[in-house]
Amino acid sequence: MSHKQLPKEYYELLEELQATDFVLLELTLYLDTHPNDIDAIKQFNEFAKMRKQLKKKYEKEYGPLLQYGNSYSSYPWNWDDAPWPWQV
Amino acid sequence: MYTNRKYYEPYISPFDPCKPIRMKSYSTPPNLYLGFQPPGLEQFSPREALKSGTLWKVFYDPYEKNKEG
Repeated sequence: MSHKQLPKEYYELLEELQATDFVLLELTLYLDTHPNDIDAIKQFNEFAKMRKQLKKKYEKEYGPLLQYGNSYSSYPWNWDDAPWPWQV
Repeated sequence: MYTNRKYYEPYISPFDPCKPIRMKSYSTPPNLYLGFQPPGLEQFSPREALKSGTLWKVFYDPYEKNKEG
């Protein structure tokens, strides 16, 4: 069985997803204490939209990110295939 | 401009057997100097933010390598 190797694009896409998630995290914490900062809310929605696109792109090529209906499944059922997040 | 690193000189007893440390320092986080965060602060790009651990440049507070202790 050939040794499975992930392409370079995989890591770039994953890093972009992580960066987007981090920005969303920071903005969420910021907006908790600044509920009427309209620019931050616009930025938050922008990044949320971008995050959805990144998720779709990632899942089209590399399988589901989340489980229990948070991600579509590819065929065959492969959410438990290697690499797991800590093996990546 | 304030600095995050504060210095103090600990009391050194004449009976202290070890080599005395004359000057000690500690780092204070930037949010102490900001109070309630104003809107519209300058931000890092997403990748930089991920690396530096904060979205806003003013809160960037890394541990310098050589300034320990």
